[in-house]
Amino acid sequence: MKSPAAMFDEFKNVIYKKYGENPGKMLVHTGVLGWILSSLAQVAAVVFNDKISREQKLFLIPQEAADAAANIISFYVVTNSVKAVGSKLVKTGKLSTPKILAYLEKTGIPVKSKKGIKSPVGKWDFDITKLANFDEIADHFKPFKNGVDVGASLVGSIISSNIITPVIRNEYAAKQQKNALAKMKTKQIKQLAAPRGISIEQYQNRVAARFGSGDGLKV
Amino acid sequence: MVSVSSINSCVHGSVSEKIGTFGRRVYNSIPNTVFKKDYWIDKVALMGKKCSSAEQRLILGVTALATQPFIDAHNKSVDEETRKVSVARTIGKIIAGTLTGFAIRKGCIKAIGAWSKKSGDVDKAGNLIKLNKLNTFFTPKGKFANNPDAFEQYKNALGTIVALVVMMFTNFLIDAPLTKFITNFLIDDGKKPDGGKKS
Repeated sequence: MKSPAAMFDEFKNVIYKKYGENPGKMLVHTGVLGWILSSLAQVAAVVFNDKISREQKLFLIPQEAADAAANIISFYVVTNSVKAVGSKLVKTGKLSTPKILAYLEKTGIPVKSKKGIKSPVGKWDFDITKLANFDEIADHFKPFKNGVDVGASLVGSIISSNIITPVIRNEYAAKQQKNALAKMKTKQIKQLAAPRGISIEQYQNRVAARFGSGDGLKV
Repeated sequence: MVSVSSINSCVHGSVSEKIGTFGRRVYNSIPNTVFKKDYWIDKVALMGKKCSSAEQRLILGVTALATQPFIDAHNKSVDEETRKVSVARTIGKIIAGTLTGFAIRKGCIKAIGAWSKKSGDVDKAGNLIKLNKLNTFFTPKGKFANNPDAFEQYKNALGTIVALVVMMFTNFLIDAPLTKFITNFLIDDGKKPDGGKKS
């Protein structure tokens, strides 16, 4: 059994190894966790706000729940995908710098196709980080890739949280509100009570007889 | 020169198999782009180094204010009154969430930075910082503190994780009441006879 101090050291090393050289991944993972926690608080804020009417709560609570689910799923899927595309663009050399191209030339990899020799740079299967002498360019390549990763994560999170999520949650919450209001109406009709001693049918007949046509009762 | 085997090792089969031939052709047909100016290369690298979860939260909040109330205001699926409350609540939520989210993340990252010192670190005056148990509490052991960029990212990551724990409480103590206050302020303001316009 490890001591708490040893476990804490191990935890710090895991964080360092997992996110130290991958800030884009950290933004995605902590972003998902952040959305889960803030969504819980936002649902509670609607539930305990007495200035919001019951009908509006029927819309806003499902809106918050839908917001949470859509946010978490779309944040992870979209942000992760956009980040993966950003990484791929840099790793394959589709997005590069003069220094990276000079390194590839020096390594003997043609950066442009010529005389029947096709350049692998920018092609799907090419990966600069897998080259045997990658260490020669790592100091320049890694900060550039991290920057693109972070930028892609930001773009992905803006698209998912600020565009996709509000549209999805509004559609979902509106449907939920309509269903809830319909249920409330049915319940109210069921609860309609006749005066004591007579059935609802008798009561309705008496009312109909009292307010005949021409008495101004709109049916 | 690079050997054929090392170039072959660049081909990672499993990912390639997932993307169909069509997808790969589309990708391969996209022209390559080279960042020629050092200014932009430095800016991209700087974004990777300096943009922590706090800055991400701030950027998300600012862009959210520009898009989300507009989307809610044009939601034709609900009645006008609900739409107004929905817009007010969205604005309240964005302002409260961004302010507290940014401040707490930034504060926690700073705190972790103050307690993750390593040998050779200097203070603002340029004096060597004397290491003790407290200011090295979060410093990873061994060789890990040697890569300065990775060490900065480590502090950002750990600070963000601590911030998330802190926000488990502040979400209820600050976020939710502040959202409620701003929402009610906007709803009440809109109900005033003059439309809430300030003199």
